[in-house]
Amino acid sequence: MLADIASNLSLGLSVAASPEGFLFLVIGAFLGMIVGLFPGFGPAAGIAVLIPMTFGLQPTIAIIMLAGIYYGSMYGGTITSILINTPGESATVASTIDGYPLAQKGRAGPALVMQAIASFFGGTIGVILITALAPSLANFAASFGPSEYFLIIAVGLLMLTTMMGDNKFKGFISALIGFAIGTIGVDVMSGQQRYTFGSPELIGGVYFVAVAIGLFGIGELLHCIFNGQHRQPAKRLRISFRDKEFWPSRNDYHESRWTFWRGSAIGFVAGVLPGSGATLGSIIGYSVEKKVAKDPEKFGKGEMRGLVAPEAANNAASAGAMVPLLSLGIPGSGATAVLLGAFLMWGLQPGPLLIVNDPEFVWGLIASMYLGNMILIAMSIFAIPLFVKFLDIPYVNVVPVIVLLCVIGAFAINASIVETWILVLSGLVGFAMKKYGYSPAATVLALVLGSMAEETFLQTYIISQGTMNLFWERPVSLVLSIVLLTVIVTPIALSILSRIKGGTSKMNKGTP
Amino acid sequence: MIKRRTFTLTAAAVASIAFAMPVAAEDYPSERLTYTIAFGPGGGNDRMSRTVVDVLRQYELYANDIVVENREGGSGAVGFSYVSRKAGDPYRLTSTSGNFIGTPLVADTDWTYADFTPIGLLASDAMLLVVRSDSDFGDVDAFVDAANAGRVTIAGSGSAGPERVTAALFAKAAGIEFEYVPIGSGGELVTALTSGSVDAVVANPSEVSGQLEAGTLTALAFSDSARSTNNPDVPTFKELGYDFSFSLPRGIVMPNDLDPAVQDWWIATLKKVIETPEWQEYLVTNGMSGNPIWGDEFAAYLAETSAQYRATLVEIGAITE
Repeated sequence: MLADIASNLSLGLSVAASPEGFLFLVIGAFLGMIVGLFPGFGPAAGIAVLIPMTFGLQPTIAIIMLAGIYYGSMYGGTITSILINTPGESATVASTIDGYPLAQKGRAGPALVMQAIASFFGGTIGVILITALAPSLANFAASFGPSEYFLIIAVGLLMLTTMMGDNKFKGFISALIGFAIGTIGVDVMSGQQRYTFGSPELIGGVYFVAVAIGLFGIGELLHCIFNGQHRQPAKRLRISFRDKEFWPSRNDYHESRWTFWRGSAIGFVAGVLPGSGATLGSIIGYSVEKKVAKDPEKFGKGEMRGLVAPEAANNAASAGAMVPLLSLGIPGSGATAVLLGAFLMWGLQPGPLLIVNDPEFVWGLIASMYLGNMILIAMSIFAIPLFVKFLDIPYVNVVPVIVLLCVIGAFAINASIVETWILVLSGLVGFAMKKYGYSPAATVLALVLGSMAEETFLQTYIISQGTMNLFWERPVSLVLSIVLLTVIVTPIALSILSRIKGGTSKMNKGTP
Repeated sequence: MIKRRTFTLTAAAVASIAFAMPVAAEDYPSERLTYTIAFGPGGGNDRMSRTVVDVLRQYELYANDIVVENREGGSGAVGFSYVSRKAGDPYRLTSTSGNFIGTPLVADTDWTYADFTPIGLLASDAMLLVVRSDSDFGDVDAFVDAANAGRVTIAGSGSAGPERVTAALFAKAAGIEFEYVPIGSGGELVTALTSGSVDAVVANPSEVSGQLEAGTLTALAFSDSARSTNNPDVPTFKELGYDFSFSLPRGIVMPNDLDPAVQDWWIATLKKVIETPEWQEYLVTNGMSGNPIWGDEFAAYLAETSAQYRATLVEIGAITE
């Protein structure tokens, strides 16, 4: 087993570490970071646009570069989450919850360093797991049908409650808004249109990117202007590598030493399952972290563990998503679907036989991901002073640039003005949510997960003839159902128990 | 106001009479071409369009710049609507696929297939009926017997897409009842089958070719009128005595109101495109059969496929007459 892995990896390294392979890996990783930086311009679009650049390259080298763009964007995507509260994609929504407050507290430098380290850790753990487990994991992913997907998504939805902030009622309202937006579009079962008002642009539903950029980006700007932040002089953040303030404190590392592991493990498992792997992974990673913490009240106010967990998770998930792609030919996300298209373009047939027929390709790609993560952590850390400089610019000058980026990002989704209107509208809603203490993160995630939950539930319902038997008839479903029930019942049972205990202790007090 | 419009129209007519012939014959590609893809990057329509553009560029068949743009949204509604509104513009191309026929039938779009100038059908995209190799269904007859004895579930992408039409046509020809399960994307469709959640799926060959090659899944029948060059062992439904065929147009269309010479120029050019080894390789890797038809014949094919599609959707209750 170990000897196999070693020989596979050395085969892979002979491809990935060749001068040509290394050069294009660096280019891909760099482009990926840039792609991640632009809100709304996600890895899927980035890879698609850059595919023509790879014509004339050897297929393996080309895919190594395109894969570099894919996981590189996970590093870049968080930078905007931290600095301007604007997640570029759904996988980095969870990172804004504590990332942005950290930057507001003046800890942007340590936050960026920690996110780079967490990303590196998650990404590398992910690749190590692929190397060791790829063949057996394929079977696991292949055993997932609609009922299993629904249950996994339901777990994700439950986890939403931990992100709802202090006021649970407002959190629920925020999530319900997300579910409501999610119902727009064609009904999967009947093919009927829902709430499209005859607009062809809405048939495909409301794409979450425009909503996310609006709620977070524009909403945040409006709120800052409302508070008069634009009248205040810019705080000069002088950051250099020699500065002690730049590096995370010993305490940061110490507190999150287990967070790295938990985030990576959760993210990887979520990534292996086709569907919304990195997004679900980052949400569950964040929630679990908050649940196991002894001081959950610190989360959401700039807690380092709240940033490390989703970051380790989404990078591990992006590695994990390579498992179904390479072993089954099943793309788990938009970005991996584009990669699959690229595979086909080079005549590589994804599927169970890929690893048998093209071992140089598969192992070359896996080996390149080890190197890619090392390149990316170096790049991220060296570029941080540059990104932090962004915060030195007076707010009055920053606002127009961010608005412009947001509008371009929203328009670029479909080259259509409808998304721009959705952006403006969500911007106003986002401002109101921020002002009155609602949770934009809950809205965006409910939008992403809600329609998936609806589809998979209805599929299960049809397959089991209008009953829900499938949820306990299938072994994997049964296990997931039990997990789900435990998650729901435990807190209720605990609170009842403590009430009984509280009651008895009161009684004890009452009877001297 | 009316006067002015008449003037513009007359001017345009004079201009087209005066310049149309020489423009089309000798100087035709004198401007940049915009190739609109009505779907997102990475999908089937995108792959075909980009292959055509690459061949045009590589063999210098188009003597000017070509811009490729993705206008995604509403199952093609947005992109095709955009191109249809460019009537009279000879520098616009777009690729058709299943939704080119299906979307106008199920949604309230401002275009149908008739709002385009047909150039050519470059390939047809038919569906496979696929089951797990370890299932009890050795052939289509066994599947039909099982359906008669009990209950079968067939999954496919989308609720009113070509997969559902194929499944419904098969059920009608075989006289069976089945439960249709609409499942979103290609990946989840495959795992719905491999996990044993459904009995069979109707899928595009490219979605399942890896699994077929590895032997985990087995294709029982093909919905085209002739066997696919890529899966020559898989019989067609017709051969097996289920009398129907259904395939989708992978073709190229342009906006309406074009000079016939432009249409002819593109027919001639695309005939060169499909001769290239690059195009042949595209057909093989994507599991498509190449059976090209051009111009008016393509128009007739579009009308026929649309009628067949419509009738099935009415029958299954997805749309009303």
